[in-house]
Amino acid sequence: MRGRQATIVFSVLLILVAFIYLGFLGMKEGSMYYLEVSEFFSRLDDMGDGKVRVNGRIIPGSLNYNTNTLNLSFDLKDKDLEGAPRLNVVYRGSPPDMLEQEGVTLVAEGSYNREKGVFEAKKLLVKCPSKYEKKGGEV
Amino acid sequence: MDFGRYSLLFSLILAIFVAIGLTAGIRKKDGRFIDLSYRGAKAIFVFLTFATSILIYAFITDDFRIEYVAAYSERSLPLFYKITGLWAGQKGSLLFWGWLLSLFTFITVKRDEKNLNTLFLPYVLVFLNLTLIFFLVLLNFVTPPFELAAIFRSDGNGLNPMLQNPGMVFHPPTLYLGYVGFTVPFAFAMAALVMGDLGDWWIKKTRAWILFSWVFLTLGIIFGGWWAYKELGWGGVWAWDPVENSSFMPWLTATAFLHSVIIQEKRGMLKIWNLVLILLTFSLCIFGTFITRSGIISSVHAFGQSPVGFVFLGFLFVTLATGIYLIWTRYDQLKEKNPRIEAFLSRESTFLYNNIILVGICFATFWGTIFPLISEAVKGVKISVGPPFFNTINSPLFLLLLLLMAVSPLLGWRKTSSKGILKNMVVPVSLATVSLPLLYISGIREFMPVFFYYLSVFVIVTLMREFYLGTKAGVKNHGRGWPASFRRLVSINRRRYGGFIVHIGMVFIVLGLASYGYYQYKEDFGLIKGQEVTVKNYRLKYVDLTNLDRWNYNSVGSLIEVYKSGEFKGTLKPEKRFYKKQEPTTEVAIMSGVSEDLYLILGGWNRDGSITLTVVINPLLSWIWTGTGVVLFGIVWAVLPTRRREDGVDVIEKEIIMRLKGTGVE
Repeated sequence: MRGRQATIVFSVLLILVAFIYLGFLGMKEGSMYYLEVSEFFSRLDDMGDGKVRVNGRIIPGSLNYNTNTLNLSFDLKDKDLEGAPRLNVVYRGSPPDMLEQEGVTLVAEGSYNREKGVFEAKKLLVKCPSKYEKKGGEV
Repeated sequence: MDFGRYSLLFSLILAIFVAIGLTAGIRKKDGRFIDLSYRGAKAIFVFLTFATSILIYAFITDDFRIEYVAAYSERSLPLFYKITGLWAGQKGSLLFWGWLLSLFTFITVKRDEKNLNTLFLPYVLVFLNLTLIFFLVLLNFVTPPFELAAIFRSDGNGLNPMLQNPGMVFHPPTLYLGYVGFTVPFAFAMAALVMGDLGDWWIKKTRAWILFSWVFLTLGIIFGGWWAYKELGWGGVWAWDPVENSSFMPWLTATAFLHSVIIQEKRGMLKIWNLVLILLTFSLCIFGTFITRSGIISSVHAFGQSPVGFVFLGFLFVTLATGIYLIWTRYDQLKEKNPRIEAFLSRESTFLYNNIILVGICFATFWGTIFPLISEAVKGVKISVGPPFFNTINSPLFLLLLLLMAVSPLLGWRKTSSKGILKNMVVPVSLATVSLPLLYISGIREFMPVFFYYLSVFVIVTLMREFYLGTKAGVKNHGRGWPASFRRLVSINRRRYGGFIVHIGMVFIVLGLASYGYYQYKEDFGLIKGQEVTVKNYRLKYVDLTNLDRWNYNSVGSLIEVYKSGEFKGTLKPEKRFYKKQEPTTEVAIMSGVSEDLYLILGGWNRDGSITLTVVINPLLSWIWTGTGVVLFGIVWAVLPTRRREDGVDVIEKEIIMRLKGTGVE
């Protein structure tokens, strides 16, 4: 009887250890910095070359899209900072909806190419601040 | 609309009176106060029904004097979407939530008020009523749905086109039904704690509520995925986004609860654990609302950010504190003197492991969801946690769940001899192993996916075996035919076989999710008119660009002819729509099949007629929807009333079946 209880406790512990190990593994793979553009530049030196998410707003007029090569390029800056540093982002694929809408912020996920000085995005997430509460502020 | 406002105010006053009446009644042990409280609780339902009807009526009649109606509707909106405007935004959603809660309270009171032996109902009502007061305070003072617009408007803003989709129409109410539904078992659990009586009674009383809430929570989550798949145009159903996670977490603890209550019923174990699970489930529902409404964690789904989130956070703390305090003060009284789990491999132990894993998945999901907050607080920098984290940790845990689903029916309660287990395992394992070469041939060779497919087959085989053995026993013992015996088997023990059907459905869903997770194919193309591309076994021909002018939107669409393995399958038309007053949206085109979905997204177009087309192929994705149907069927089957004749002969028969099934038991 006591032996069986011990086996159960042991197996539960085993699951827990495996669970914690997987957690560490997952955090190593899945976690990345989530930074504003200016934060990104100030941390650039002590940051590895791993993946990172940068949040910002597209500078109007900087958007460039080649429909044949599917190359998309634009400049990001901080949400509200005037004269903040610009980050040139390149992406290959079709651009998401609402990219040029006013007030839209965007999260680019990818890594920084130090030689070329561009951010190579693998994923773009457009965030519309008023998707559900549409135009509530205008009234 | 004044009527609406007044009935909300009156409901709140009534609810406060109910609270006072209950306190007085319980203190003085006076039935008259209790009786009055019951009436009050039922009256609240009437008033809230009235308020909700007024808001719906305002939507139907385009009463844009009300701010909320103006913000979510317009004259040209189809009637169907006008009515669903009730839950299109926060204020209406909360009214709908409050109304559901008052309805559930009404039903709970109605079911037991005439029963003179019910000592528990006043206590249950205390907790239901407190929750209701919370919502009524919100509706009266924080998010008043009948607030007037500041300026006069002849037309409203209209409903966001993304919400004009059946998936979005069903997603919020099903989710709310699930969330609100869990309030009832929560109230019963708290009442049980207060009364210090943790017998089976509260579980029996709330079994229907729990299944009901679980089903709607499941449907709500699936509808959300379905909507994202059809409407958001990124080709997937699930992305481990904080908003998705916040509905998934209570689902996990609720699923754990569904299983562990069976242990309490059969063996009288895990009483406190069950309380903790229901407290967690209810708290996670509130936590989910906090996450989605406060906007504290950045998410692709942007809800309007408002202070309501933090009010929910406060409510969450109060709930948790109350629950923990009650468990703490009554812990000694509740400690189990009951049998412990006797064997490492028994049906109880598989339920125990199931609980640990489900709660583990929940914890991992919670961790990943709130980690950005923790890292910001501790390290001063936001670190976001992406899908790889959730997949790395949760995939193996899901595999373990599949393994448990497969093994559990092969084990008996209490103890099973290793010989018996092995004997039971031989056939299912060998049958499942047949799938391995097939998987290899079809190109599925990586470690994790192979495990997913193999274990899925294993689960299906063991469950089929259960149906087969049960039917066979009926044939043998009563000389009935196979069909008759099968019908009898599944209708006598509905819970057991309904549960098995639910498991089959879950396996379908897991197969769909794993297949698209591991084997989704995605490629972008730039195409000129008449050009063809080949993607896997599809040949796609871009024929033409079309322009459409509809009553409430313009659309640009591209006609794509689809050939599969050389055969013409039809023409798909992915579009971009420009709704009046709104942003452009992508309308994807999907050709759905049993083996895979072809999913086309129109990325953009040029003056010369060339387009950007994204082609996505999602294997087995439609199995998610099929599986959901199976789950639904299984649950309905399980809750349908068992035939009364069960007493008498059939009980003996059931025992025989049980004994035959557990070959090697004891």
